Amino acid sequence: MHTQPFAFERAFTAMFRRHQEDSPAIREAHCLAMQFPAVFLPIQPGDHFAGRMRYHHIGFSPQHHAGGFGYFCDEQAIRAEMETLTLSESDRAEIESMLMFWRTENTRAKVRAAFPPHLSAILPSDQWTSEPGIVFPLYRMAGAALNYKKLLLRGIPGLREDIQHGTGSPFYAALHMTLDTFCKSALALADQARTEADRQTDQAERTRFERIAASLTAITERAPQTFHEAIQMVYLFTMHATLQCNFGRMDTYLGDFLAADLTSGRLTRDEALDLLVSFWRMMPSFAENLERVKFDLRVIIGGRGRENIENADQFALLALDASDRVRAIVPQLSLRCYTGMNPALYQRALDLLGAGATFPILYNDDVNIPAVMHAFDVDAVTAARYIPFGCGEMVLEGVSFGTPNAIINLPKALEITLHNGVDPVSRQPMGLALGTLADFATYDDLFAAFSRQIAHFTDAAGEFQALAYRIAGEQAAFLYFSLLYENCIERGLGMFSGGVSHLGGTYETYGNITTADSLTAIRACVYDRRSIAPDTLIAALDSNFQGFDDERAQLLAAPKFGNDDDSADTTARRVHETICTLTRNQRDRTALDSFLVVAINNSAHILLGALTAASADGRKAGEPLTNGHTAANGQERSGITALLNSMVKLDPAIHAGATHNLKFARSMFTTHRPQLEALLKTYFECGGTQSMITVVNRDDLIRAIEHPEEYASLIVRVGGFSARFIDLPPETQREIVQRTLWE
Amino acid sequence: MSSGIVLNIQRFSLHDGDGIRTTVFLKGCGLRCVWCHNPEAMLLQPQMSVDGKMLGVEMTVDQVIAAVEKDRRYYENSGGGLTLSGGEPLFQFTFARDLLTEAKRRGLHICLDTAGDVPQSHFASILPLVDVFLYDIKAHTPEQHQRLTGVENKRILANLEFLYASGAAITLRCPLIPGINDTPDHLAWIASLARRYPNLRGIDIMPFHNMAAGKWRAIGKTWTLGDLPNASEADRARWLETLRACGYINIRL
Repeated sequence: MHTQPFAFERAFTAMFRRHQEDSPAIREAHCLAMQFPAVFLPIQPGDHFAGRMRYHHIGFSPQHHAGGFGYFCDEQAIRAEMETLTLSESDRAEIESMLMFWRTENTRAKVRAAFPPHLSAILPSDQWTSEPGIVFPLYRMAGAALNYKKLLLRGIPGLREDIQHGTGSPFYAALHMTLDTFCKSALALADQARTEADRQTDQAERTRFERIAASLTAITERAPQTFHEAIQMVYLFTMHATLQCNFGRMDTYLGDFLAADLTSGRLTRDEALDLLVSFWRMMPSFAENLERVKFDLRVIIGGRGRENIENADQFALLALDASDRVRAIVPQLSLRCYTGMNPALYQRALDLLGAGATFPILYNDDVNIPAVMHAFDVDAVTAARYIPFGCGEMVLEGVSFGTPNAIINLPKALEITLHNGVDPVSRQPMGLALGTLADFATYDDLFAAFSRQIAHFTDAAGEFQALAYRIAGEQAAFLYFSLLYENCIERGLGMFSGGVSHLGGTYETYGNITTADSLTAIRACVYDRRSIAPDTLIAALDSNFQGFDDERAQLLAAPKFGNDDDSADTTARRVHETICTLTRNQRDRTALDSFLVVAINNSAHILLGALTAASADGRKAGEPLTNGHTAANGQERSGITALLNSMVKLDPAIHAGATHNLKFARSMFTTHRPQLEALLKTYFECGGTQSMITVVNRDDLIRAIEHPEEYASLIVRVGGFSARFIDLPPETQREIVQRTLWE
Repeated sequence: MSSGIVLNIQRFSLHDGDGIRTTVFLKGCGLRCVWCHNPEAMLLQPQMSVDGKMLGVEMTVDQVIAAVEKDRRYYENSGGGLTLSGGEPLFQFTFARDLLTEAKRRGLHICLDTAGDVPQSHFASILPLVDVFLYDIKAHTPEQHQRLTGVENKRILANLEFLYASGAAITLRCPLIPGINDTPDHLAWIASLARRYPNLRGIDIMPFHNMAAGKWRAIGKTWTLGDLPNASEADRARWLETLRACGYINIRL
């Protein structure tokens, strides 16, 4: 069908231009009708569902891997592909003109162009991975938490009824069009499935394709009635709505379908498991070669506030089995735990972790629900709808949007605070000029200057987050979100045009603990003991400790977070409360209903660390910053209970999530299972919000020998005792590596 | 308030008694076991390692208790508590007694990991404070005991008899060193102790591990076991077989 080069991109662009002066909702609906079903891939061998997709280089998406969102244009990819093609002069000219058009018309560019001068001055760069800076904007509408329950209960006809009353308004007309587009996709894929079915000689294969065709057809006509139809609908709708997807509380919306099929005998449990395994396997596929996106997909099971607990738990157990079988990096299966939960579910989760799966991630409702109530200013029922998306940022399913659109390098903020606002690496002014370390007579003066510095940047981050939503809302209605987010239909407004009930936002903070440990060390060495003069410290940091071995040793010897040490932990708490409060206060300064810190896992702490000079905790220039609320590499020297005790001192009620990584040897799940269970129980009772458990395997241990700083708290069973792995002599480490072969 | 010399406080200890425990290692020991896995605890006084690290620090009872209390909730959920070890924890008797008294007053579950070679009056004095004794059994004849540990075992066995007769809860801990003390007659004797003391909580076999060699070097002492390898799976299987043949089944290895 598309024979000319970049035919889709050109057609999409033409469609956009044709409707450029229409209401944004109508323009979007037309563009989506162009995009779908064009982006869908053929149904893959073995798949039980249709809907794998790959975006073209131009299109519409809440988040695109090339860094754009809304209307995106991956110019780099197009130019790379142009290199490989023989193009006519007229084709080349038309493509060039298309690229020039999108340079200013893509939504990301619209946001950048809308920066007021003062914001451009504070946030000059978007290149957070390559240029030093304190705060950077991120361009995306990530982490949608759609109300899938509504989708499945209402079905397409129900959703049409819901928007019937608004006939005449462009917004409702556009919503109708998006439902048409969804049905058009479903029917096109159904045709494809039927053709495939006819081609099959194997009866089982034929049946598989026929079922796909039947389900796709059914969901265009009525609400889904079977487990298969329900999964197909969820998957296909998600593919229309967003690349960056979070499947939310799946047990709450698939549990009843599963139970009905099992009860009626329509499915056996093994058949249901096959379907779910296929669903799991299809999750990463549409984001092939996009590592960053792959990590983001989540499925949540368990937790308070579920209606039909028995059915939901039955589904949750099936989900654990599916993850056991698939053992992939997605979906990031997350189990919400609570006092009184089904013990079989919890035990099965621990079994899975003990067997070396990295999922489920465990969340603690007993702490998180009250924390979310406070952080988001919502009631208990709404708070129970929390789901951690992507890297662990909490949002409220169907209620709040909370894309992380700003990122702060906290150690860098301290770095410039020590240097009168100047970046010691580039020697350029970067922040507020409040003096140098020698000018701060007391530690509290230093801390006050640091607070002012991060307030300056955090105010800009909040302003940017609100601006990004405003421009997003001006450019598009985000129609598929609007269908499944509370209040958009009721208010007749697009998602970011006043529709969504709770307009949140999150702020990725990195190096929180690096910063806290640095302040603790400065307090101890410069202010309390006066063993390092302020100028000496600056010289030591500026020279990356070259010639300052003694000073570095003193800084390293200062207390560190993660050891249940009150002086280190008190500083960590103060840093945490300062940044969290400054961030949360943005709800009073901006149009945001909430703006909250997240301290999460990804590779940003490494990339930002590479652009950060030596820090006063003893960290050398370029080394990674801390991520989440984990101790600095190798600094948790007092055992895991001490680490956990330190972690729970940071109040979860003022942020939107922090990750806690724990590494265990397999023996903790076998020989020491009762102690492990007691450990986790106590941690949660003491206020632990979540834990991401990794059970180390042989390869990890080999890595631990080479990178001991990453495995400081790993305890292994040696013989009649257990010890920190990294403390063991090399021959013992080698022996344990050998033993892990058969353990 | 007495104070003493503490070598180390190890949190999340899993092998020195039930549950999750904090093990407090006190300095000082009267024995000189050739395989000693905590040689830096032999001397009472703090000492400098060859690479300049100070081993041992003076702490008050309150300071130690404060460190132990930090994990109280982990003990409560796991059936764990405080384990006092060493060295020989009763080598600093007054300090140990005060520490145990305070821990008991606070309702902590207490294990005492002892080699047993102290005056019986010491045991009599702390008997009401200790929930479980982890009692080391290293060699069965006085001569062999003298040769391997530097002291004979008469007092050790008498104290074991005393504790048992007093109704104490006791777990025997038996280090087995291949080629040194894992002889059939030693194993048979361990099994005979099980018959003699039927109410023991259990017998833990502690298979030899050579990781202490580095610790000996770190304090400038000579490790006399050369490159004696760790106890192998074959060693363990043989020990189990022998012990079972002697009629002792409830062995933990």
